Amino acid sequence: MAFPLPRGITPSEIAFLAEMETVTIVPRQRLEGLELLGGPVEPLVPPRRASLPLWLALLLKRQRRANIIPPSWLHPDPLGLILEVESQHQDYKNSFSPPPPLPALGKKPIPEHNTHQMEIDTMLHRRFYLKILQLGGDFTKETPALPFHWVEVGNMLLDAASDDLVEPDQIRRLLKDLREVRMSKMRSGVDVLDAAATGGGGVALTGVGAMELGEERGFVAGVVDNLRKIGASKEQARREQLADQRVNGEYSATQDEEEDYMEF
Amino acid sequence: MSYYDIDSILTDAQKLPCTFELEVPGLGILEGNAGEDIKAGTRIDLPLWLGEMLSIAARIGTSRLVTLDMPEALSERVMNALKADPRTVDLRALAPHFYHLSERILEIFEEEEMVDVLTDTFKRRAAEIADHAHNSRGAVGDGVEFLRGLDEAERQLFRAAHDRAKEMRIWAGEAKRK
Repeated sequence: MAFPLPRGITPSEIAFLAEMETVTIVPRQRLEGLELLGGPVEPLVPPRRASLPLWLALLLKRQRRANIIPPSWLHPDPLGLILEVESQHQDYKNSFSPPPPLPALGKKPIPEHNTHQMEIDTMLHRRFYLKILQLGGDFTKETPALPFHWVEVGNMLLDAASDDLVEPDQIRRLLKDLREVRMSKMRSGVDVLDAAATGGGGVALTGVGAMELGEERGFVAGVVDNLRKIGASKEQARREQLADQRVNGEYSATQDEEEDYMEF
Repeated sequence: MSYYDIDSILTDAQKLPCTFELEVPGLGILEGNAGEDIKAGTRIDLPLWLGEMLSIAARIGTSRLVTLDMPEALSERVMNALKADPRTVDLRALAPHFYHLSERILEIFEEEEMVDVLTDTFKRRAAEIADHAHNSRGAVGDGVEFLRGLDEAERQLFRAAHDRAKEMRIWAGEAKRK
């Protein structure tokens, strides 16, 4: 009550975190290398491209000292393809387009307990890739995928560097559409949330971005919490039943052991 | 539910129909005639906290003092209405803290079916609430009737979803800070 902000993390805080993403720029002026807390920044020599944290890139852009090269996904074509797959295809009615592949995938051995999830993820990813190819996309180097901070990075670049983007108005529209499609998917997940509250079920949030999580957190957490409270008495009964079964089960198990022993 | 939770305190104050099993001297004040006795078999609406205490106290050894009944808000009639269509029922008119009340009641009575009905109700209504909360005209358009019937827990849910969506719009520059 006393603390005025709602629980969780506010949009501007999420955007602040997203400013640590790296982007590629083409500097227009020389700059000596900087020693920052987040790591050293390479010296900027005008025609050569450089990778900088987003906040620094935006600063230089605002001072007209650099041009930002938009990330590979922030173009009308990949965004349009992702939107089409997300909204039109049956497979993606309830799931989100997969996140970009991990850089280390394929080099390191996958931990045993994650293999199953990994298989599902790669399967989704492959299907997604096939869909994109069917739609006429040609991305031999890279699959279009939305990174974790896509909402924030997209918005900030549209704000500060729209002249560096290809068809900024269309990108703006596509980003908005994508957001709406994905938000409605997330909200329609309410139906399966009661299984999540009592353990077992759940909603797969693979590929959901930071800002989307931040926006839906209050609602989803509230639903799960209330469902848990409503189902509490049933859950209690189920636990007691399980405990009874376990007591009985152990009892019969020890009997079995004794019988086995007798046979030997 | 914490000690200072105002919703939990208000839930405690909701009335529950109770039947006295014994004659209690001098408790007529509950019925409105102070100084009189309460006869066995009298039906009075008592607050949840009092009714619960009186019915549980019986387990200590003496015979049961009161028996509890289902409150009107959770009666068979309401359950049937919820089964038919959860979205048209005005929960607020039944009880301002409908879900909190039912949680407490379900701790006392064992009603498996009611849990299922309420879970389903909450889910269907939550989806509706989310739609209204994200629709900028949700709170003024045709949703008014539905939103007026939300109970306290659902209102908090609506608030959470609505505030978050609004903050997002402000951050993205689509809406002005008031």
